[in-house]
Amino acid sequence: MKGKKKPGDFLASLTGLAITLLIAFGLVVALILILSKTPGKMIYYFFLGPFTNTYYLGNMLNAAVPLVFSGLGMAVAFKSSVFNLGGEGQVYAGGLAVTLVCLGLPSANGFLGGLLAVMAALLLGGGIAGLSGFFKVKWNVDEMISSFLISSIVLLVVNYFITGPLDDPGNNMLASLPLAHQYNLMKLFSPSKLNLSALFAIAASALTFLFMSRSHIGYEMRMCGLNREFSRYGGIKVSRYLVLPMIIGGALHGLGGGLMVLGTYQVLYKGFSFGMGWNGIAVALIARNNPLGVVPAALLFAYLDAGAKAAMLNGDITFEIASIAQSIIFFFITAQILSDLARKTRRVK
Amino acid sequence: MPYLEMKGITRLYENGLRANDAVDFSVEENEIHAIVGENGAGKTTLMNILYGLTRSDSGTIILDAARVSIRNPQDANRLGIGMVHQHFKLIPDFTVAENVVLGIEPVRARLFVDRAAAKANILEIVSRHGFSIDPDASVRDLTVGQMQQVEILKMLYRDSKLLILDEPTSVLTEQEIEKLFGTLRSLKKGGRTCVIITHKLQEVLEISDRLTVMRKGRVVAVRRTAEIADRAELARLMVGRDVLYPLVRMEKKRGRPILELKDVTLTQRGRGQPLLDRINLTVHSGEIIGVAGVSGNGLGELEDVVSGLRRISSGQIFHNGHDVSFLDTGKLREGGMAYVPANRLRRGASLHASVMENLIVSNHHRFLRAGFLRNNKIFEYSMELIKSFGIHGKPRVQIGTLSGGNIQKAILARELTSTADMVVVCEPTWGLDVESSQFVYEKIFSMRAAGAGVLFISSALDEILGIADSIMVLYRGKMVAFLANGRIVRDNQHQSRQLKEYIGEYMLGLRDDFASVGTEKKETQP
Repeated sequence: MKGKKKPGDFLASLTGLAITLLIAFGLVVALILILSKTPGKMIYYFFLGPFTNTYYLGNMLNAAVPLVFSGLGMAVAFKSSVFNLGGEGQVYAGGLAVTLVCLGLPSANGFLGGLLAVMAALLLGGGIAGLSGFFKVKWNVDEMISSFLISSIVLLVVNYFITGPLDDPGNNMLASLPLAHQYNLMKLFSPSKLNLSALFAIAASALTFLFMSRSHIGYEMRMCGLNREFSRYGGIKVSRYLVLPMIIGGALHGLGGGLMVLGTYQVLYKGFSFGMGWNGIAVALIARNNPLGVVPAALLFAYLDAGAKAAMLNGDITFEIASIAQSIIFFFITAQILSDLARKTRRVK
Repeated sequence: MPYLEMKGITRLYENGLRANDAVDFSVEENEIHAIVGENGAGKTTLMNILYGLTRSDSGTIILDAARVSIRNPQDANRLGIGMVHQHFKLIPDFTVAENVVLGIEPVRARLFVDRAAAKANILEIVSRHGFSIDPDASVRDLTVGQMQQVEILKMLYRDSKLLILDEPTSVLTEQEIEKLFGTLRSLKKGGRTCVIITHKLQEVLEISDRLTVMRKGRVVAVRRTAEIADRAELARLMVGRDVLYPLVRMEKKRGRPILELKDVTLTQRGRGQPLLDRINLTVHSGEIIGVAGVSGNGLGELEDVVSGLRRISSGQIFHNGHDVSFLDTGKLREGGMAYVPANRLRRGASLHASVMENLIVSNHHRFLRAGFLRNNKIFEYSMELIKSFGIHGKPRVQIGTLSGGNIQKAILARELTSTADMVVVCEPTWGLDVESSQFVYEKIFSMRAAGAGVLFISSALDEILGIADSIMVLYRGKMVAFLANGRIVRDNQHQSRQLKEYIGEYMLGLRDDFASVGTEKKETQP
């Protein structure tokens, strides 16, 4: 809680964001007008594609789910001023944990087994990230570098499992054996892939917000994030809060990866969570590390992605052009947010 | 026609506070002009507007008979206005020369910094003004007084005609202040104009030609300094009523030992001279021990080890008879320590956190229910402290938006309302005005009356002489003098000036005739 913001401030920054978005969208439209032979159609798909039917809409919402989790994980770490660049590995490992538990218990009760699988994903993701925090406290190893390097190892280890012990010999794809049916999360918007995990994501956002802003540990964590010397002076165990935010952030990443497997794929694909860790950083940034802002930020991210995909599927927009269009929008959003942040800091002096 | 005129300057803060309310301010060419006033009177805001750091909501600035618009410090520099801030803006890892030329480096071949030219230029200014700094020294290794000289050097290098100094003496020792005043006088002789913001009354009377008194965002008086009779009159102008001055003190009986230091030594790798050298000291219940010294002689280190933020290399520290040598600050606080740090903006407060969050950092455990903080209780508690300490601010605003004095009051409110029996207070009134300082002393006295032992570390000797029961002097990490209670009471009544000089000699290492722990019997004799 950075003091209570006045509603005027909030509104002003929201209008600012809206104007920025409009300019960015304008540029994208211009880009499409220049590069596409059927610009009207492309603009339609790019901006409205995700809303044309429930299948697209559901998939778009579903794509936001793992982004919410990794965005929350990053927000928690950033608020505590620790830097977790190992999101990729932590999400991927969460998928592996779920797969291992579910394949190991092929005939367990769906709820209990699923719960166990999710716990495993939390533990594995948290453990991997926590390691970097531990190294930081023990040997003062930069957690940004160690988390990135550990994540690179984890990616390879998970790939080994997928292509080795867990490989499905009856399938040509680089994927594990499928999970038993009782583990499939309830679908919400058939035939799209949207499932129960979307509700978990919203709950996670609310719980993380409560935890960070109201709980004792959240307070100490934020204080350490704002000023470690002050926290130590106040009697807070600062080293604890170099490790804990890493663990919590890693656990949220792991949970996101695990729920992707349980809800969306029911099988562990090689590279299924590609980009989720990095995109989580962008989502946290857009949300300004506010856990409640993570859901809309993830939706915006997923919307742009779905629009670009729809445009690619339905016309002459290539992957590159779609990527450029997305980048323009992100560039503008980031610039807007950074300038807002700068203004805020200036005011504080 | 004045050299500088600011007319009708108004600056509203977002919380509706009028930091400056239709202020008219003028400076004659080639004078030393003091702006005095309590904390939050709007002195710094006015100067920040002049220097382009803050914009004014209305008003005009006329410099040298021309209306000017100053939107940023670069504008101000171009117009020949320079400012030394209360908190120096120097890069510790750079050398003096690099800091001075930063931003306007002389270049060679349009690409390289011409270090030789920079150094020559700086050396010329240094010798002209009799500064004692080496352009090649790292700023990190300088004393506070020297850092201030670097700041002044920066302005001279930019050839500023109007120099603004914000609380320039608050971090300096007596001798350094003398030196600064010498510099200011020589600048005046050289045709420059100085504005100094201060609330040290004696200094105002000593150095300034004219003064402007501000109170609550308004100018309440503009006088020639020669017309002011004494400090009391000036204090009345500032506060608006008579204040207690100076402090009254009586002989004290002391209680059981609270804090004991036995041969406490702090060494640093790669440094021959220990930072603290076998310090022996006992603070008893109901007494205030003042620690005096020039900065850089172990005051900060003593603060760090006593508060548990830095591990001692050898020796022992006891609190109520328990060995606490290796406990961290959290454990010490649990055991009953209150601690007001010298560095208030980094250590004492978290500027981006709210006032509430700052007020509970050391005791938020009191507000827990099932792992969650009870915000209502915290809010009520904060309101109480804000009221009883007269902090201008609301619980939910970021503490960094408050003025320096109000931040300090919040820190004091947090630390001095605890039930601690071991109180470590460092530079508590640094930057506070007379009235607030008086209030702080009263709080410290009431903790003493409740049986606390107070370790009072300060580089302001006047303040130590004013409130400490016994005084210890640190020089190069060693205790070089200890003046026990009876002695001070006797001397202070009649010859405080002499006592001050006597202590000053120890602070500067001019006397070295003291070997062991001072008790009433073994105390140093002049």
